[in-house]
Amino acid sequence: MFAEQAAQRAHTLLSPPSASNATFARVPVGTYTNSSQPFRLGERSFSRQYAHIYATRLLQMRPFLVSCPGSGVRVKKLCELQPGEKCCVVGTLFKAMPLQPSILREVSEEHNLLPQPPRNKYIHPDDELVLEDELQRIRLEGTIDVSRLVTGTVLAVLGSVRDDGKFLVEDHCFAGLAPQAPAPPLDMDRFVLLVSGLGLGGGGGESLLGTQLLVDVVTGQLGDEGEQCSAAHVSRVILAGNLLSHSTQSRDSINKAKYLTKKTQAASVEAVKMLDEILLQLSASVPVDVMPGEFDPTNYTLPQQPLHPCMFPLATAYSTLQLVTNPYQATIDGVRFLGTAGQNVSDIFRYSSMEDHLEILEWTLRVRHISPTAPDTLGCYPFYKSDPFIFLECPHVYFCGNTPSFGSKIIQGPEDQTVLLVAVPDFSATQTACLVNLRSLACQPISFSGFGAEDDVLGGLGLGP
Amino acid sequence: MADQLYLENIDEFVTDQNKIVTYKWLSYTLGVHVNQAKQMLYDYVERKRKENSGAQLHVTYLVSGSLVQNGHVCHKVAVVREDKLEAVKSKLAVTASVHVYSIQKAMLKDSGPLFNTDYDILKSNLQNCSKFSAIQCAAAVPRASETSSSEKFEQSNLQVSSETQATSELTANGHGPPTSKQIPHQPKGIMGMFASKAASKSQDTNKETKTEAKEVTNASSASSKAPGKGTVMSNFFGKAAMNKLKVNLDSEQEVKEEKVVEQPLLSVTEPKLAAPAGLKKSSKKAEPVKMQQKEKKKGKRVEFSDDETKETVNMKKKRRRLKLPESDSSEDEVVPDSPGIYEAESPSPPPSASPPPEPATKTEPEPPSVKSLSGENKRKRKRVLKSKTFVDEDGCIVTEKVYESESCTDSEEELKMKTSSTHRPPAVTVKKEPKEERKGPKKGTAALGKANRQVSITGFFQRK
Repeated sequence: MFAEQAAQRAHTLLSPPSASNATFARVPVGTYTNSSQPFRLGERSFSRQYAHIYATRLLQMRPFLVSCPGSGVRVKKLCELQPGEKCCVVGTLFKAMPLQPSILREVSEEHNLLPQPPRNKYIHPDDELVLEDELQRIRLEGTIDVSRLVTGTVLAVLGSVRDDGKFLVEDHCFAGLAPQAPAPPLDMDRFVLLVSGLGLGGGGGESLLGTQLLVDVVTGQLGDEGEQCSAAHVSRVILAGNLLSHSTQSRDSINKAKYLTKKTQAASVEAVKMLDEILLQLSASVPVDVMPGEFDPTNYTLPQQPLHPCMFPLATAYSTLQLVTNPYQATIDGVRFLGTAGQNVSDIFRYSSMEDHLEILEWTLRVRHISPTAPDTLGCYPFYKSDPFIFLECPHVYFCGNTPSFGSKIIQGPEDQTVLLVAVPDFSATQTACLVNLRSLACQPISFSGFGAEDDVLGGLGLGP
Repeated sequence: MADQLYLENIDEFVTDQNKIVTYKWLSYTLGVHVNQAKQMLYDYVERKRKENSGAQLHVTYLVSGSLVQNGHVCHKVAVVREDKLEAVKSKLAVTASVHVYSIQKAMLKDSGPLFNTDYDILKSNLQNCSKFSAIQCAAAVPRASETSSSEKFEQSNLQVSSETQATSELTANGHGPPTSKQIPHQPKGIMGMFASKAASKSQDTNKETKTEAKEVTNASSASSKAPGKGTVMSNFFGKAAMNKLKVNLDSEQEVKEEKVVEQPLLSVTEPKLAAPAGLKKSSKKAEPVKMQQKEKKKGKRVEFSDDETKETVNMKKKRRRLKLPESDSSEDEVVPDSPGIYEAESPSPPPSASPPPEPATKTEPEPPSVKSLSGENKRKRKRVLKSKTFVDEDGCIVTEKVYESESCTDSEEELKMKTSSTHRPPAVTVKKEPKEERKGPKKGTAALGKANRQVSITGFFQRK
């Protein structure tokens, strides 16, 4: 769609200079509202137990699940269960995984265990599921896919208690998609560019050229007039996390003696300077929303707070630069966006048998919770009043950043909900970004490449045989 | 003709200067729209090839278009060499744009140099990076007024070197706080406790920090410091000032590295001058003097960075900032060396611990507050021996040596303060100080029995 539009204009650049050159005005900012307020933390107190977040999660999700089993089957609490009676129970899932890294086991001297090396996946055939409600917990068995589910999911199970005290599951269901307000139709094409994993400071020269090409396309320097005209329809750029590379996080300076590391600068300092310049170029031309990611200088626990503007002295001069939270929620031209920098999806990937990041993304939408594994295996702030990660409303575009490859899918909900799922790939590895067309809710990957010494230009572009 | 001018320019850049001329580079250099730059490059290539078919020109093109891949319609944007252009174009289903990306004399192995060229020209034109672009955004208006107000805030609150640093940072924005403002600000803020002499010195140092490590200014400041600096130096840098200087050190170390390197060379003369005087007043060894002696004594030591930090401390004695945890790390390195020296020197307290007659009127509450701040931050660290001079409520100038140990807490400092405040008459002060100082280094090891210990026979009567 981008290219077709662009190709419609005549190619003018392979010709002698013309008298005048067209300049296109960026599409004016339509309606934009940032609805990330639930993810903003004010005064933080970590003196609370994490049990409260589970309690409030179950409390908030229970109404969505009570209607699940339909008529005829009663929803009971665990304490009211009678053996042999078929009923439905709503509770939070807990998956007991022997391979899950446990800090207590590691530091316990009696086990004399060496720290476990990080694995790709921590699932094991011996994993067990336990359902917990407000007062009790019970082992689950039966037709339930243990390997797929993760801790923290709230679901309803249908079945009966056996004599040995375990619950035999016949069926289970999730909360499903939240209700969705329809998006107002747009009259012209507007694009939102989603990029994640710029990975600055990583030392990869190839990705730097790719980043520069990306910035040039968006700011209208690259390309012919047709392409520049299309680029002027990009109304927003969202940088979904991991702006700095993983290598800027190296903690070598902790292990080395102080006299060796005294004058060394953290790697992130140079990387942030580079990021500032890139943001300056972008924000001089298009509204930008910057989300922090796993390797960015902000807090570790979810929800990650916005990066501090003092790090970007050049770019914060422009009001088009917005530093936002992770997860991020906003309404852009009437289209509701919700997305994370990918920590929720990659954490579920580690503890579940699901392989495709897009599939996991869809699963979180159907479970109606952005990140069920928080706070169990993913760091999270100890909420107690409400769990902000529950979907109260279904977004139109739901994305997650830093996936290994691009993926996009449109799913339909039972109540006419339409959601575009986008798995934004890691730019430093794939040189690919995503263009979302707000009018048609379609997503297109856009990739950049230079040429290398190996002469494999076509391969680099993915055009090889 | 004006038209031919650009051709000549490009010719000059490519053939004579052997540059890589990218469209962006040309656009900024000639001040033309990017599309016009692309057209100019194309025109040049065509003409050159027509005139001289054996021309040594290598051209790279930008191709963009779409193709179907993995079920998606992907948009591809690629920089390709001329020989690959047709191959790439043929693979694309729809070609959106093709234009010249760059011209250079030599064949490029990879696209790295292209990026470097663009990056360099961009760095020098950061403020108007979208001036020649094809897309103009109405919403992107720099907030000029807000940044200038933040500069004023900085000037009034932070110290000279920090302001200088802010200057260097903000000048990238195109704004530069007027440096002249910094000098009058000095006496007011932190410098209130320093005398005008100090102010003039700070002006010296200010100029010094401003100019790029000029030997002259260094020498002038060094020389201004050298004469009889034993007393001045020691009193000049009380612990309070040292604390506040730390943050600057860290933040400025990269910036001032070249200056610092030069400073130790010059200040080698300083220790020689200061050291004899300093030794006599070793009780009031200020940190920089200490460091200078250390430098002198252990010249072979490769604790150069330590000395450098001390030197920068010397130069930037006016820096005052709330202690930040970062500053601790620099002090951390410093300290392990210092105990060695201090132990050696403290046993020889000068009998004539004459209170410095200078106007270093540090108010009593200030150093404690700073120290308590530092104490909190530095609870786990050893600190160098510092002497603090202040005028207590009776108008007596009191000097005390403070030596914080690892387990040192604020209370210990306060105790020291209290005991020192008992020195009413200066004569007694003189006598007391040696004892005080002797006890100073032992503070780290001594228990917290300071309050109960009677410093001298008359100490009992001094307490009120």
